[in-house]
Amino acid sequence: MSSTGVGDVACPQCGAAIASGDTFCEACGTALVADAVAAAAVAAVLAAAAAPVDPDRAGAGANVSVPGPCVVCGGVIDDDGFCGTCGQKARTERDHWIESPAVWVGGVCDKGIVHSGNEDAMALAATPFGDRTDARAVLVVCDGVTSAPHSDRASIAAVRAACAALVAAPPPAADDPFPAQLDHWQRHLGVACAAANVEAVAVARVLGDPPEPPSCTFVAAIVAQHLVSVAWCGDSRAYWIPDAGEGEELSTDHSIGTELMRAGATREIAEADPASHTITRWLGADSVDPTPEYVTRRLDDAGWVVVCSDGMWNYASTPQALGALLTEAGADGATGPTALAESLAAWANDQGGHDNITVALARHERQVP
Amino acid sequence: MAEFTAEVFQNEYLSDGATDVHAVVSITCSGAGVAGQTGSGEAAEVIIIDTSGSMDMPPNKIASARRAAKAALNELIDGTWFAVVSGHSLAQMVYPTHPGLARSSEVTRGEAGAAIDRLRSGGATAIGSWIDAATELFQQAPSSQRHAILLTDGKIEGEASGALDEALQRARGVFQCDCRGVGDGWVVSELRKIADTLLGTVDIIASPEDLEADFESMIRTSMSRGVADARLRVWAPQGSQVMFVRQVAPTVEDLTPRAVQISPLVVEFPTGGWSDESRDYHVAVRVPAAPVGNERLAARVETVVNDQVLAKALVKAIWSIDTDLTTRIDPAVAHYTGQAQLADVIQRGLAAKSAGDDRTATVLLGEAAKLAHDSGNESTTRLLAKVVDVVDVDAGTVRLKAKIDKSDEMALDTRSTKTTRVNRQP
Repeated sequence: MSSTGVGDVACPQCGAAIASGDTFCEACGTALVADAVAAAAVAAVLAAAAAPVDPDRAGAGANVSVPGPCVVCGGVIDDDGFCGTCGQKARTERDHWIESPAVWVGGVCDKGIVHSGNEDAMALAATPFGDRTDARAVLVVCDGVTSAPHSDRASIAAVRAACAALVAAPPPAADDPFPAQLDHWQRHLGVACAAANVEAVAVARVLGDPPEPPSCTFVAAIVAQHLVSVAWCGDSRAYWIPDAGEGEELSTDHSIGTELMRAGATREIAEADPASHTITRWLGADSVDPTPEYVTRRLDDAGWVVVCSDGMWNYASTPQALGALLTEAGADGATGPTALAESLAAWANDQGGHDNITVALARHERQVP
Repeated sequence: MAEFTAEVFQNEYLSDGATDVHAVVSITCSGAGVAGQTGSGEAAEVIIIDTSGSMDMPPNKIASARRAAKAALNELIDGTWFAVVSGHSLAQMVYPTHPGLARSSEVTRGEAGAAIDRLRSGGATAIGSWIDAATELFQQAPSSQRHAILLTDGKIEGEASGALDEALQRARGVFQCDCRGVGDGWVVSELRKIADTLLGTVDIIASPEDLEADFESMIRTSMSRGVADARLRVWAPQGSQVMFVRQVAPTVEDLTPRAVQISPLVVEFPTGGWSDESRDYHVAVRVPAAPVGNERLAARVETVVNDQVLAKALVKAIWSIDTDLTTRIDPAVAHYTGQAQLADVIQRGLAAKSAGDDRTATVLLGEAAKLAHDSGNESTTRLLAKVVDVVDVDAGTVRLKAKIDKSDEMALDTRSTKTTRVNRQP
């Protein structure tokens, strides 16, 4: 299959074009290990990207003050973004923003209450209608590591790079069987994750390689042609929550919590352990292993694909709990993915808002046979 | 046009309920130009030479002072206003002969040199009247960048107690004054008071023959100050209190008493003239505690020249429950807290020693030896070693030397405020 634009992959040895799925270069015979293919694809994605944007200034979630008087004392906000009377930092767009790329896809990214800044980031994209054969939703969430300064910059750069890569990815052939589609999307998710990592590392370079480089988790979901394909690195999660029946946690955290559960601890005990949130994989300059894990699932029923950061799932970890929240929000009148996401984030803030909260949803309707 | 930059070093994270914010603000000036020629107005220098009777004992003191004054004149840029004053029981014009300032040129400098050669000693040490004479001279001249050198060898005598304080009140804000004591017959606290009030330095020149080089260097520094007067403008939020603003490098100087209230939330601190140089300030503000998750500005520190803000630094406070963040101490804040403490224990230790309390002196100077050693302050370590024998530096145990040269003790006192720069390597 021939493709154009950012999906093109060239042989790292001789530069010849490489067809999707090849394990050797047809031109020079170089063995194409997965990393080399991914690296070449990432390079292509980045080369095709426009001039780099300042993640603090441009687009949704920019670190610019929301206009208006001080929320604490009503004082005037000075040019440097602080109240001239009480010193309170003005709310920025980054503190709370929503994205609604289509009626069937939406999300919210919120500072929460306890953290002073929002290190979570979210980038969503979707075709206008979810029921077409060419429908595609892209949901990317990265959670910046609080203990590493400037992780908010790494996370927003990472989500944007990954989202752009997944938007640019060509569709699989319409008649490809499920295994071929799975392979196709996982390959592109891998490229997206690598592109996100390159951007996160680039932030550290810009900052002069600090001893604790900015870093973040990664989760990306593609919803297309009645399947959801997920890649993740760290403890940001993807769920499938059908309208009826049992939901599923699609991802499995790369965290000490998961290791504890593998060792036999129950979810309750594992998640209550203070170390459970220590992640074992992440993106950034000091990452030991920035490669994602993948899962792909057929979607038959009506329901929601939910992608979220731990600021959300800390309060609703099981698919049952998350499903119940969605049902409750729907019963309270929230309709559509953005309203549901807002409702879930508000609920998490009511529980204490101990971390940044990101929730993104994509709707899947039942396959009509 | 001079450019200023400001950089902040702090841990902005505060634990729940905490109120005290500490930061080191490092301010750097570049492109200062030279005194009197960069839009700050004309420059003026007054050199005050002690010619009291004691300057003849030994006679090389007055001879060295004459040489030093002439060397200083040679460093004056053409066009600078200047005068030379002889100080004894009163202040007397040496050059020009009428009370006023002359413009520096080869001719006037030559005439002044000849007048200096005729200086003879005799009389008392009425420093207050010398300061008054300088104040009057500066106020006559159309200058706005005013600097004086005051040299003495003795303690104040021949004028009413309180005369110096009154003179300093009149001189404050009129000119900057660097003070030098030659020999060991003068009083550190007297000269320190003058230097503190008039934004200058104080130092001991134990050997008269070293005066010449020191005078040259002082005038060179003064002539390199193209910025006549910069001020630190500090905004702090409503309900807060600026606990202190302290210069911590290159020397420790508490600016807090110099605060001038500009508006309810803004105070300014004069910092005098600037050349191409860098100075560090420790700013401490007590702010009302805000709920966890809030970020507030604790202080905005601006460098102001001619009412223009040339550099700005933001000191922040972020309340957090993350103890990994809130328990960190910024290395610059820690280092300069130690350096200020070092100057303090030396001065208190020497005060105890002169009051005859050797026990307290030994404890304090022992603490100083440890602080100086731990912070890598080698010059202070060297000065201390002339006053105490270090028994155990890690424990801070010392013994006062059996025989201490008075000038060594005075050197330790005057130079105790010199700090080492914080190591900025991560």
